[in-house]
Amino acid sequence: MKKNEGKADKLGRGMGASSYTYAMLSVAGVLSFLLIWQLLLEFKLVSGRYLAKPTELILLLIYKWTNAAPDGATLPVSIWASMQVALSGLALGIVTGVPLGLLMGWFKGIDKFVNPVFEIIRPIPPISWIPLTIVWLGIGLQAKAFIIYFSAFIPCVINSYTGIKLTNKTLINVAKTSGAGNVETFYKVGIPSAMPLAFAGIRVAVGNAWSTLVAAEMLAASAGLGYMISMGRLYARPDIILLGMIVIGLIGALFNGLLSFVENRVIKWR
Amino acid sequence: MVKVNKKGKKGEFKETTPLDVVYFILPFISLGLVVFLWYSVSTNKPDMFPSMTATWARLVKLFKQPIMRVPYYGHILASLKRVVMALAAAIVIGVPFGTMLGWNRKLDCFFGSIFNIIRPIPPLAWIPLIIIAFGIGEFPKVLIVFIGAVMPIVINTRAGLRSVDQLYLDVGTLFDANRRQILMEVAIPSAMPAIIAGIKTATSTGWMVVLAAEMLSAKSGVGFLVTRGMDANDMPLVLVAMITIGIVGALLGVLTSLIERLLCPWLQIK
Amino acid sequence: MAANKVILQIRNLKKSFSGKNGEVLAVNDVSFDVYDNEFLVLLGPGQCGKTVMLNMIAGLIEPDEGEIILNGKPVRGHDPKIGMVLQRTALMPWKTVMSNVEIGPKWRGVGKAERQAYCQKFIDLVGLTGFEKSFPAQLSGGMKQRVGIARAYANDPEILIMDEPFGALDAQTRYAMEEEVARIWDQQKRTVIFVTNNIEEACFLGDRIILFSNRPATIKEIYPNEMARPRDMISEEFMKLRTSISDNTDLAIDTL
Repeated sequence: MKKNEGKADKLGRGMGASSYTYAMLSVAGVLSFLLIWQLLLEFKLVSGRYLAKPTELILLLIYKWTNAAPDGATLPVSIWASMQVALSGLALGIVTGVPLGLLMGWFKGIDKFVNPVFEIIRPIPPISWIPLTIVWLGIGLQAKAFIIYFSAFIPCVINSYTGIKLTNKTLINVAKTSGAGNVETFYKVGIPSAMPLAFAGIRVAVGNAWSTLVAAEMLAASAGLGYMISMGRLYARPDIILLGMIVIGLIGALFNGLLSFVENRVIKWR
Repeated sequence: MVKVNKKGKKGEFKETTPLDVVYFILPFISLGLVVFLWYSVSTNKPDMFPSMTATWARLVKLFKQPIMRVPYYGHILASLKRVVMALAAAIVIGVPFGTMLGWNRKLDCFFGSIFNIIRPIPPLAWIPLIIIAFGIGEFPKVLIVFIGAVMPIVINTRAGLRSVDQLYLDVGTLFDANRRQILMEVAIPSAMPAIIAGIKTATSTGWMVVLAAEMLSAKSGVGFLVTRGMDANDMPLVLVAMITIGIVGALLGVLTSLIERLLCPWLQIK
Repeated sequence: MAANKVILQIRNLKKSFSGKNGEVLAVNDVSFDVYDNEFLVLLGPGQCGKTVMLNMIAGLIEPDEGEIILNGKPVRGHDPKIGMVLQRTALMPWKTVMSNVEIGPKWRGVGKAERQAYCQKFIDLVGLTGFEKSFPAQLSGGMKQRVGIARAYANDPEILIMDEPFGALDAQTRYAMEEEVARIWDQQKRTVIFVTNNIEEACFLGDRIILFSNRPATIKEIYPNEMARPRDMISEEFMKLRTSISDNTDLAIDTL
């Protein structure tokens, strides 16, 4: 570390300060953002029809925790509705996507068979499946979960596929020369070495799933956080929309943190 | 029968085994299955999935008969125009901002913390807020796509500049580059692959977001075609729009790869 | 040689790093003089702290204690009169050979036509004529290091530091490059400080050879080497010097 301290500021990179300084800067950044936001509205530089004050949002959060008005569901109910859809679609996407990607990457026959179909489906954004899904499954949990499934499935397949294709050839040869068969090498060498990228895929999948969910709930739903913000638009209530956005963002960030935690546990050698 | 194996390196000879024949045929079998499935589902349950002939007929009709006085290609162009404008703005704003965050740790703490709290909000969740603030014209749609596109550009640019190899910075010091030269001629070029990767992600995200924005509120664009088909219960139109979206999306991917080749010629050397 | 004027004085250099197992002393109280236009070789076992010492001389890291005096004046940070050829070639992959070689003059503000004509001389000197527009990824290891040498020369330093430049090359290329460096030095006289862990290379190139101990790096002995150039690696004289250095060398065992 000493190496960096000496030359750091020659380059103007703002290095070498204490971690306390950096933490304070971060806090100052967030606080000034909130302050400017609040002041813009206090002094009516931005109309209250388009934005709501941070202080109002805190009060609204407390209110919405137990009250269903105006969108018809309390915040915990909306969160629960969205989580159910997101998690079921996501879980299915991971459980089918990762193994499929791994198998495609290892066994040429499966690759040749699945890849053409996959390449046709891949470029079509999941939300454009909404009309067809509605015809097939209505607008309930199943239909949304199906769309989320698509959005999670695709990055899982792509990343696991790439991950296992990048398995070190030397490791494969070592396994094979020590008498392991193709299948044994697959799960003893191929799968572990594909794990980091498979996790990267799951990370993308979580992001996609959550963002697609919001779209699906705005387009076709009667519950959930996406529904809540589209109701906010209908009632011209920017505070409802902003609260919804913040909760959506927070949950997304929580998912991400949780995933990092699991990732560090599973991939111990890093 | 000795024959040059196409995938093998020069001078490598390989016999065609029965397995190679199987590998050659497999993609055709799987594509054949897709076609068969499409055919049988659409004949038995035409409500669930439009038939090939109906889809083709709808495409032909779309060429002759504009929707909302905009011809087929006009809808594609409308979507593309929104994406391109938003992407251009995202690059012009996102690359310098990401560079600032990645290069200077103090600025990263201050502004990065603000960016970090906004980042987890999916771009689509901004739609209601932007609609109540700016209505449903062209600008709000471009703005939504911009939000979707600028995030990956900032994230990648920041990561690229943070991880500039110390070795190259040492070369800068050894050859007496000033701060500006180190940033412009050493750090940014070395982060270029990461920046380009960000632009690639931004392009595909942008295409997905424009679609969602158009599905929610628009009178033109491919996303509008999807909702139009859904509202009019015109499933062949939905399918035509989906295929169009897939093809244009794939073409955009090819285009960004070409731009990468142009901007980073040194990465093409194997 | 000893009658020559002293260009660089290293006085009591000391540097330690905080590592996993506490403070590690990398360089301990090293002092030596460098004479004008000599080819000085610093020889020591791998990982002994030679690179740390060089980085201090080049101004890439600051010493904990001690002084570096160039032409009678103490050096702080990097001095433009000191150039360096790095261990990992450190060519910028996004620049062509010409663009890599010309960075010194370019960053000093020399005009394009002038600097390119000037740099062309050094590209020719290292035998890379015709490769000006190639990218580093298209070159072999030996060729990359030639670019590194041309780049350092094109910045016109008084003292040229070479940090194990051939460490990553195969034996064949290495011999060829040693001869190249001797030839280039002969044509473009500079003071060269060349670091290596290879005794043969040291004897082949050096006017003087400073032998270092294992970590922390301290000076063990200084060998003058006045054999006529070009040198013959299998002559009796060469073998004698080589054996006497080799008997005095610490084994490069990582003691961490």
